[in-house]
Amino acid sequence: MDRRKFLKASAGAVAGAMLASQLTSALAQSALEGEDIANLEKGLQQVLGKGFKDLTVSQQVKLVAPTIAESGANVPVEIEASLPADQVKAIHCFSDKNANPLLFTVVLNGVLPYYATRVRVAETAPVRAIVETKDGKFLMASQSVRVTVGGCG
Amino acid sequence: MPINILVRFTPAKPKAGEEVRVQIVAQHPMEPGTRRDASGKVIPADHITELNVLMDNQLIAQVKPGPGTSANPLFAFKMKASKAGQIKVTCKDLTGQTGEKTADLTLA
Repeated sequence: MDRRKFLKASAGAVAGAMLASQLTSALAQSALEGEDIANLEKGLQQVLGKGFKDLTVSQQVKLVAPTIAESGANVPVEIEASLPADQVKAIHCFSDKNANPLLFTVVLNGVLPYYATRVRVAETAPVRAIVETKDGKFLMASQSVRVTVGGCG
Repeated sequence: MPINILVRFTPAKPKAGEEVRVQIVAQHPMEPGTRRDASGKVIPADHITELNVLMDNQLIAQVKPGPGTSANPLFAFKMKASKAGQIKVTCKDLTGQTGEKTADLTLA
């Protein structure tokens, strides 16, 4: 194979691979603004001992957060799971770009699978609600929150 | 100074079997440890690390907020009001301060 042919072929292969990887990541997560999986992964491993790949995106988890938050210091978040109360073990919440990605963990024992609070979001990033079920599944809902003024600086 | 906690039920007097929303507010600055004061010094972290909600001395929920929880945080739960009882909320922060509050849940 001469050099020219080789270059053409390899360029095609690289472009194809890039396209494929873009497609799969887009399928896994319809691009959220400001996501930072590397930082999130760190927090997930620390808290849950699981990686981002172990989470299942689920319609059963409902996350209510504003799309645009004026102040990152006070972002209301509401999480509700449409699961029987005795199946939900805990609710975790993460934000991708916070220095400490874990926002809070709630262990539920006898209350309905619902939790509302206000969190700090450092900069524009997705907020992720993760519901841990009794049988060890992690169900996730994400929403990007655009922050005008950061909440941790 | 102990941490001041407020507890409110919505509706205030639920019917038996009705869903009741329990709103808890702790008055606390929740310093995340990343902010700087006017002279550029880092304000040390001081946030609530644990908040327990007990119903008749039985733990029904435990929150572990990280530094990413707002000042004067709100913690809201929903529960089935099956019987009247006493809700007790206890919390502690990084500096070792604690707070405690009891509220009676009465049925209509």
